[in-house]
Amino acid sequence: MTHLATLFPSLPSALAGDGDAHGTAHRAAEGAAAAATWIGGATAHPEYSWAGWILLLPLLSAVFCFLCGAFRVKNKLPALVTIAALGSAFGLVLTLYLKYDPTHASGPMTVHLFDWIRVVWGEKPGQSFVADWSLYIDGLTLFWMLFVTGLGTLIAIFASEYMESDVGGNYCRFFGAVGIFLFAMGSLVMGGNLALLYLGWEGVGVASYLLIGYYYGKPTAVAAAKKAFVMNRVGDLGLLVGIYLTWRHFGSIDYATIFKACSETIANGSHGGDWTKGLIPYFLMLGAFGKSAQIPLFTWLPDAMEGPTPVSALIHAATMVTAGVYLIARLYPLFLLHPHALHTVAWIGGLTAFLAATIGMMQYDMKRVFAYSTVSQLGYMFLGLGVGTTFGACYHVFTHAFFKALLFLASGAVMHGFAGQLDIRKISGLRNVPGFKIVAWTMLIGCLWLSALPFTAAFFSKDTILLVAMTDESHGNRILAWLGLLTALMTAYYTFRVWFRVCGGETAYQPGDEAHGHDDHGHDADHGHGHGHSHGHAADAHGFHPHAPRFAINGVLLLLAVGAILAGLPGLIEFLKMGPNWAAEMIAASSATIGVPNLTEGLAGGHAEHAHHATVLGMDGHTAMFLLSTVAGFGGIAIAAYYHLVRRRAAETLKQALLANPLIGWLPRALENKWYVDELYDALFRYPIVVFGGHVLAWIDRYILDGGIINGIARIPAWIGRLFQPLYNGLLQGYAITMVGGIGLILAWIVYVWMKGGI
Amino acid sequence: MTLSAMLLWMLLAPLVGAVAIAVSPRHLAKHIGLASSLVVLFLSIVFAVQFPAWTTGAFVPDTNVFPDGVVSLTGVTFTLGVDSVSLLLILLTTFLTPLALWGSYTAIEGREREFYGWFLTLLSAMLLAFMARDVIAFYVGYEFTIVPMLFLIAIFGGDDRKYASLKFFVFTFVGSVITLAALVYVASKSAEATKVWDFSLSALQAHAKTLSPKEQFWVFVALMVGFCVKVPFFPVHTWLPLAHTQAPTAGSVILAGTLLKLGTYGVYRIALPMAPNAAVETVGFLAILCVIAVVAISLVCCAQTDMKKLVAYSSVAHMGVCMLGMLSLNPLGMNGSILYMINHGLSTGALFLCIGFMYERYHTKDMDQLSGLAKVMPIWAFFVVFFTMTSVGLPGLNGFVSEFLCLMGAFAATTHTDSGFPGLLGPKWMIVAGVGSLIFGAVYMLYMVGRVVWGPLKAPGHGDDHGHGAVAAVGHAGGHGAGQGAASGAGSSSTTAAGPKHDDSAAGGHGHRLPTDLSAREIAILAPLAVICLVIGIHPYPLLDVITPSTKATLAGYPEAVRDFDATRESRGELATAPALPADAPTTPAATDASTALGSNLGVIAR
Repeated sequence: MTHLATLFPSLPSALAGDGDAHGTAHRAAEGAAAAATWIGGATAHPEYSWAGWILLLPLLSAVFCFLCGAFRVKNKLPALVTIAALGSAFGLVLTLYLKYDPTHASGPMTVHLFDWIRVVWGEKPGQSFVADWSLYIDGLTLFWMLFVTGLGTLIAIFASEYMESDVGGNYCRFFGAVGIFLFAMGSLVMGGNLALLYLGWEGVGVASYLLIGYYYGKPTAVAAAKKAFVMNRVGDLGLLVGIYLTWRHFGSIDYATIFKACSETIANGSHGGDWTKGLIPYFLMLGAFGKSAQIPLFTWLPDAMEGPTPVSALIHAATMVTAGVYLIARLYPLFLLHPHALHTVAWIGGLTAFLAATIGMMQYDMKRVFAYSTVSQLGYMFLGLGVGTTFGACYHVFTHAFFKALLFLASGAVMHGFAGQLDIRKISGLRNVPGFKIVAWTMLIGCLWLSALPFTAAFFSKDTILLVAMTDESHGNRILAWLGLLTALMTAYYTFRVWFRVCGGETAYQPGDEAHGHDDHGHDADHGHGHGHSHGHAADAHGFHPHAPRFAINGVLLLLAVGAILAGLPGLIEFLKMGPNWAAEMIAASSATIGVPNLTEGLAGGHAEHAHHATVLGMDGHTAMFLLSTVAGFGGIAIAAYYHLVRRRAAETLKQALLANPLIGWLPRALENKWYVDELYDALFRYPIVVFGGHVLAWIDRYILDGGIINGIARIPAWIGRLFQPLYNGLLQGYAITMVGGIGLILAWIVYVWMKGGI
Repeated sequence: MTLSAMLLWMLLAPLVGAVAIAVSPRHLAKHIGLASSLVVLFLSIVFAVQFPAWTTGAFVPDTNVFPDGVVSLTGVTFTLGVDSVSLLLILLTTFLTPLALWGSYTAIEGREREFYGWFLTLLSAMLLAFMARDVIAFYVGYEFTIVPMLFLIAIFGGDDRKYASLKFFVFTFVGSVITLAALVYVASKSAEATKVWDFSLSALQAHAKTLSPKEQFWVFVALMVGFCVKVPFFPVHTWLPLAHTQAPTAGSVILAGTLLKLGTYGVYRIALPMAPNAAVETVGFLAILCVIAVVAISLVCCAQTDMKKLVAYSSVAHMGVCMLGMLSLNPLGMNGSILYMINHGLSTGALFLCIGFMYERYHTKDMDQLSGLAKVMPIWAFFVVFFTMTSVGLPGLNGFVSEFLCLMGAFAATTHTDSGFPGLLGPKWMIVAGVGSLIFGAVYMLYMVGRVVWGPLKAPGHGDDHGHGAVAAVGHAGGHGAGQGAASGAGSSSTTAAGPKHDDSAAGGHGHRLPTDLSAREIAILAPLAVICLVIGIHPYPLLDVITPSTKATLAGYPEAVRDFDATRESRGELATAPALPADAPTTPAATDASTALGSNLGVIAR
């Protein structure tokens, strides 16, 4: 216990802190008491086996879509089936949520569907390896599944219109991959053991691979798909080793068993086992960093924007990339196994948030800006996990899912309308373009939310994280909080840089070149446009008419805007002290709080009041944070407004001035080139290992190993073979005769031995 | 039909078919070939349904077919018996063969009688090796697989077929002779002691344990040399890429799908139970070779331009993982390893079929000449991506389960110095390096897919629109006649038009018009493979359930700490005491000169 207390001076303050001030102090205390029963108390609920359909429905729709492709279906049937399947899955999740009481004393539920991997060779715990198709359902699971399936359905509806020019084989392929993705994401979140999590983990990876490479005619898309898959594999390697170590130390990879053991560990204060136990969180977090695009594995996510925009919204913004956050929240007890594991997470998260924001400020591609903002926001989530507010992190995932999906879909609508144009310098005044009103104004909501202005959803979630970090004086968390505030300023700046450029100002636009468009169908001629009017490869703006979005796209944008607004409601209710935060309740009823309430209990008194009394800049912590983030948000917007709305030319002048300055001229260049991280990785890993190593080894294999050594040895029998030259030349049967002769010789030898032995 | 008769008929049916082919008209050859292999498939399924020993680990029916007189004269029996693992491999063989034969319907033109006849002989030989309970019978089957494969490569292969077939022959033949020598040595020692010649596997394995540690060690080494060539194990793998590149599609399918498994099966069935103490000493060294194979060969894969060669090299890396699992000598890794054999056979066989189907259309396997085929062959592309995913171990498909178990088993068998856990496979970091295959596997397989399936369309003309000869001029370009040095002739993009090598078939060009995308026949070949891959991936438990008794039986002669290891022992604070060797084993197994030379870490076990 003392060990854990030294580990986490921050935790009690974190939890009690935001609970207290936001009016849920009573819940934290209750949670502390209930935690013991919660931790190990998973019970089997076979009556919920219908929840398996949440996974099965998307999978079946995927199979159906691929079959449609095989039978050359040329209509929107795949989309309709996918929407129906995902919608039903969402309905099932909702039913499950309504039937499931997160405060129920019985704790999490497990549902065993059927056996998967099962090797048993003894009676003891370490003498079996079992990973079944089983579900683990608690607050965290439902919280995640609600927005995964909900957003999945919405985005499928959006895509049914967005992808319509591809109706045919590619349309089937697209929705098939979306089905695979939802199946895998479902397994990842609902799975009851680490192997099933790994299945989902890799499954979303392959869905992502297929969808990033959707426009496979473009080499950049293919390269981006491969890069994403391989970089994720680096993380998966860590996850796999982590799974092994977990099995080695707990004798099981079932959540229920692991958490039970963890709760006992926490109660007894003894970790047991050897030092390798402390490695578990580090290997696991490597997996999380890969999937959630954190340092050092973040470079694949911006490239992943090669995929169709609905995919960017669904997979690379709202759901898949948050899997890393889910992993750490789900396995939070394992992250307590080493004193510095969570601090590492916090630092990686904080630094990634900052680094990605710096790059985001200098990109001109709308989707890339939002991609870097995703990396940055994910960094905040990891920061939250690291400083101990799993609630803040998970709530931020939730709010972020809505507004980021909204932003991506809005930029997708722009691309759809402007022939693939994404350059923020080439579109202006969108708010006045007929048919784009909804796009422009819902995008504004997304931008406001991303900037985390007061009373937006992200304000409640992000500031929870920053507040906890700020009020914690250990391990430099306060530095991270200040860095986070600076990042918030930059976030507001680059977000509104996009909005002011694209939607503000005079109306002027240049269509993208579809043939080289970012997101369109340049790869071959027979992907003509299904639209009523033909703008083809319009390179000149004169004959170009923006293609206004229709019902499905506008409808989904509005729904997402409403969703983004509503996502802030739990935070607002809590802020106004009208009741507990719904999200906090959901997270509290899960493994993400294992260990945390116990600490509160053990360190009752001073620490519990810590955050309440913590002062920042001489003010109460909450007030200070409220003011600071307001300043950061509006400050960023003000700068963006000056340079990108009021005096656009000043931005260019400033940039030129910076570039001309020998002292800091490198900075904008480095930012524009993404800090040269890709080049660094290529130089460090790709060229030496894959290219150089591969070719050198291939040469060694062929000329030294095979050509020299093996053939040298082989020359002996070959020389013998030369005695049978007549047989070799032309008469292939010679080989057979040689061999039969060989067998004969051996048999003769047997007989010889037999006779010599005189048996 | 009794079980024993059924086994016998499974051996005879292909031979009957081969004879029938020899006396029938040429155009019937393929139909007779397919029909015979289907009969064998049917028999094997009926046998599997009736098989009583799925969960006991016993060998059934284990009866001798020879008359007693022959046995008493030579000691050689013809005892056939299978346990669950042999039966699974038999099912794999009988399942893959009809698919491979059906897949050759349009690919083989000319000399069909030889092709299908030899193929059926090959089937019979492989089945014999899997069924035999007598080492001589096993050896005959094991050795006789070489002959038909030799002809398949040498007659129907690519430009470098002669060199490839020679190399294939020399490697596997020399290797297996060494194996035979070891087996005969044990048999003769046994005969000296008992005054009766007995070549039955169980008798030899029982006797081998009474040999001196030094003898045991050398017997094990000799057995392993032969089997490792077949696996193939680094550094004696160099025949495989060449053989695969040159072999016809069906030959590659069976070579990768089943013939390589004879090596791992030999290790599992013969070498490991024969000399447990020697095995425990040596696996540490062998594991190093495995890891080198996995890492280095994966990198070599990245430098390939020939699709078949890339998949062939990937086989070497994959079999490294398979062997790593087996050499972990614990039930977990071994189960994974057995399952790996099956899964590798399915997915690599399927990949070779896919490449073959593409080759029939474009007559090249050179990745520099192909790109973006998904555009014109979407169904083919689906299958290629699907089987690539099974190959890189995507969870939910079959490859993952076995790879995962192999790696888990290997991890579990690593050294743990604090507790004295007998680490057979050396330090953990080494296995982590082996797990690096996960990354490289993805790199090279996706490299191939990215080059050939995705990207802008590029192909050397469509098979439909050109005569055979014209297209073949592109396909058969390369190092023909460049001698032994230019092993990878097909990989070069030389413009030398060597022309079609199928002398008998070139006369009228292609008789078959293949559709742009896969034909119904080709889909019907790949679809069952895909379905089985998916089923094993989602529900492998029935297989694992029947494999476990067999692995337990194989490990029966091993020290308890190895066989019944408990992964969580350290966590529960039960530090291992020095595990005792079985009573019937010599007391100083590690005292051999050779083991010290190998730097084995068995000291822990021996204490």
